[in-house]
Amino acid sequence: MRNVAIIGCGQTKHSGRRRDVNLAEMVGDAVWNALEDAQVGPHEVDAFTVGNMQGFGGVAQPEQWLGDWIGAPGKPVLRIATGGSTGGCVAQAAFYAVASGLYDIAVATAWEKHSDSKEPGATTGLAHVGLGNTLNMINFGVSFKHLLSMVAAGAAAGVACYQAMYYMHRSGCRVEHLDMVAAKDRRNAANNKYAHLQWPGCTPEDIAKTKWVAYPFRYGHICPASDGASAMVLACEEVARKRCKKPVWIKGLAAYSDEENQIMSEGAGGIGILDASQQIGATMSAIKAYKMAGIKDPQKEIDLAEIYQPFPSQELMFAERLGLFDEGTAWKALEKGETDINGKMPCDLSGGVNATNAIGSSALQRILECALQIMGKAEEHQVPKEVHNAVAHGWGGATNYIAVTVLGDSPY
Amino acid sequence: MARRVAIVGYAQSYHQHDMQMTREDMVFEVAKGALRNAGISREDVDTVITASTDFLDGRTISNLYTSMAVGAYLKDESKVEEDGAFAAYYALMRILSGVHDIALVEAHTQGSVVNPHLVSNYTVDPLFERQYGDLNDISAAALQARMYMNKYDVSEEQVATVSVKNLANAACNPHAHRRMPDVSIEVVLSSKLYYDPIRELTMSPISDGACALVLACEEKAKEITDNPVWIEGVGSCQDGYLRDRNLDKLDSLQIAAKDAYEMAGITAPFAQIDVFEVSEKFAHEELMIYEALGLCREGKGKTLIEKGMTEKDGEIPVNPSGGALGADPICATGLVRIMETAKQIRGEANGYQIPNVHRALAHGQFGICAQKNIVFILGGE
Repeated sequence: MRNVAIIGCGQTKHSGRRRDVNLAEMVGDAVWNALEDAQVGPHEVDAFTVGNMQGFGGVAQPEQWLGDWIGAPGKPVLRIATGGSTGGCVAQAAFYAVASGLYDIAVATAWEKHSDSKEPGATTGLAHVGLGNTLNMINFGVSFKHLLSMVAAGAAAGVACYQAMYYMHRSGCRVEHLDMVAAKDRRNAANNKYAHLQWPGCTPEDIAKTKWVAYPFRYGHICPASDGASAMVLACEEVARKRCKKPVWIKGLAAYSDEENQIMSEGAGGIGILDASQQIGATMSAIKAYKMAGIKDPQKEIDLAEIYQPFPSQELMFAERLGLFDEGTAWKALEKGETDINGKMPCDLSGGVNATNAIGSSALQRILECALQIMGKAEEHQVPKEVHNAVAHGWGGATNYIAVTVLGDSPY
Repeated sequence: MARRVAIVGYAQSYHQHDMQMTREDMVFEVAKGALRNAGISREDVDTVITASTDFLDGRTISNLYTSMAVGAYLKDESKVEEDGAFAAYYALMRILSGVHDIALVEAHTQGSVVNPHLVSNYTVDPLFERQYGDLNDISAAALQARMYMNKYDVSEEQVATVSVKNLANAACNPHAHRRMPDVSIEVVLSSKLYYDPIRELTMSPISDGACALVLACEEKAKEITDNPVWIEGVGSCQDGYLRDRNLDKLDSLQIAAKDAYEMAGITAPFAQIDVFEVSEKFAHEELMIYEALGLCREGKGKTLIEKGMTEKDGEIPVNPSGGALGADPICATGLVRIMETAKQIRGEANGYQIPNVHRALAHGQFGICAQKNIVFILGGE
């Protein structure tokens, strides 16, 4: 296998409504920022991998229209979409494009412009996950029992609160801990100039004052719907060593889908849900990615993590599934401040998805933020220690798609 | 290429207008069929790549339900949101990287669920063209057809000859959707006019269908089968957006074909390739594809079809299976082309087998006026 490195990163400012740019211009900004950061000319790019959730912005196959803004005409463009994990899968596709030996320099870019659709995509878009299938099922005379199990899931928040209850019951974590995670992520976001929900000095008490949405989630726990884009330039070892002072190597990756956690699988006649917080797919992905990366003990060897956590319970849960903490102990580590910037295992120093959620882009941003920390370019949210290895995570679908990527400062 | 990769198993559905089957059932059938054809089980598969699009499926995260049906659960998987040939391309990259050895590739669309021509209106620039509401894949293809026909003096009869050839070929292919053994130029030119000069029989039908392939690296392929079909070359390219490109030429296909030929060491495609399976969503596109693939000089596509050179018994048979005019289950169409060429190389194309096929070309496209193109060169031992 060829070694593949990230040699440049670019992103745009995220906010609820980017009225200053249209979709094509916004993606263009991210790609040009990445090319500039990598000091690579557009003519040198061999291939593009792109992705977003096309229903959320209301444009079908948007890369065909906006390709001209990112220098894609005349080049191979591969479009990937897997729900929330799209960005992670787009980056992984760029990795494979270079690792395969077919291309030397690839650009991965992912975006979302929620404000282009009439209602925030996270609610309408995810309702459509069930709707299309429901209509189809009615067509075939399937009973309404199945319809209930899909629509009553309540889109992303419904899936997540169901899962959070499993997790809290299993680990002993309480709502106070969710307040702490959300407050930490908003504080962290205040140090990230690209982030959406910035709240300097936010405390768990501030979060606890917000209204309940669906137990165990308060309004202050839930991610926003953002407009934004991000991009990375990936290159083979030969190019990376020549062009970049501190390339960030992709050492391990995996994207196992997890059937058992699909919240609909019980009603839809799949195998029953045992425990929505089990996340075998995440565990399997982590094991494979660490093995590829040669990491034996992630608790010791991983220096920081970027976890895809639109809901705060997921930061704790996935940290455990990624092997960063022992089962059921993440909330205890949180109490001790281990996931803070000065802690043992800083999590989501960028504020993560909890503060910025441009869905297609979110999982790519996790990888990008790890890369920035390793390169030492994270500016105000740079961790005050040397980062050798970092892990980036993304989830999508009904928490059944996972993308785990392990990055490091050396390819070995 | 770093490793040799082969196609070792395949299956496709009986493409038809309304399959009366859920997408999950359809996908399960082809995935199971491809594994059975290869003689392996789900446990042997390392990675699964599927292809479908959210708009065409009418649901967000279109693979959410089908990834169970295709057997992707607890597998390293991903979804390509375009033609299935791109899914095969991604699976190929995954195997070439050395991370995976055996890949299952699956693509499907049920055109009967959401009208694909309606969806195509959402593909055009949302700020300008979509607002007019008059641009869709058919009207854009009509512009393309007129530009091409005017530039090279191509008649409607010559374009209709492509439909006659492919629809008659489809009659021999039990998997094809639109099978018309007795079709003639008159029948084609008297079919319903959509946007001049595009008629019902010069555009592809709306089909339900799915296709699946199993790809394997050299060591595994030799264990699995005695006659693997090797991927010798691949090339892919995206053209500029509709208003910023030459509509009368398939520039991106030309680049994709050049890359694929270079990788496969092909210098004279006319002589070195025995059979072609191309995705001609509209009859005139097949003539443009001949030119972009370098089978004839620019503007001479009409000569090939007129002289019958691309007929089943011609010198360079194109679309013996009936092509996209015979059946167009959109995301599966490109993957079906790869499967049909693999069948020709293996000698399994009962009823439309071309004798002595050693090397074949499969083409997939996606987007309005074939904005994106991908070319595979396949070969036998």
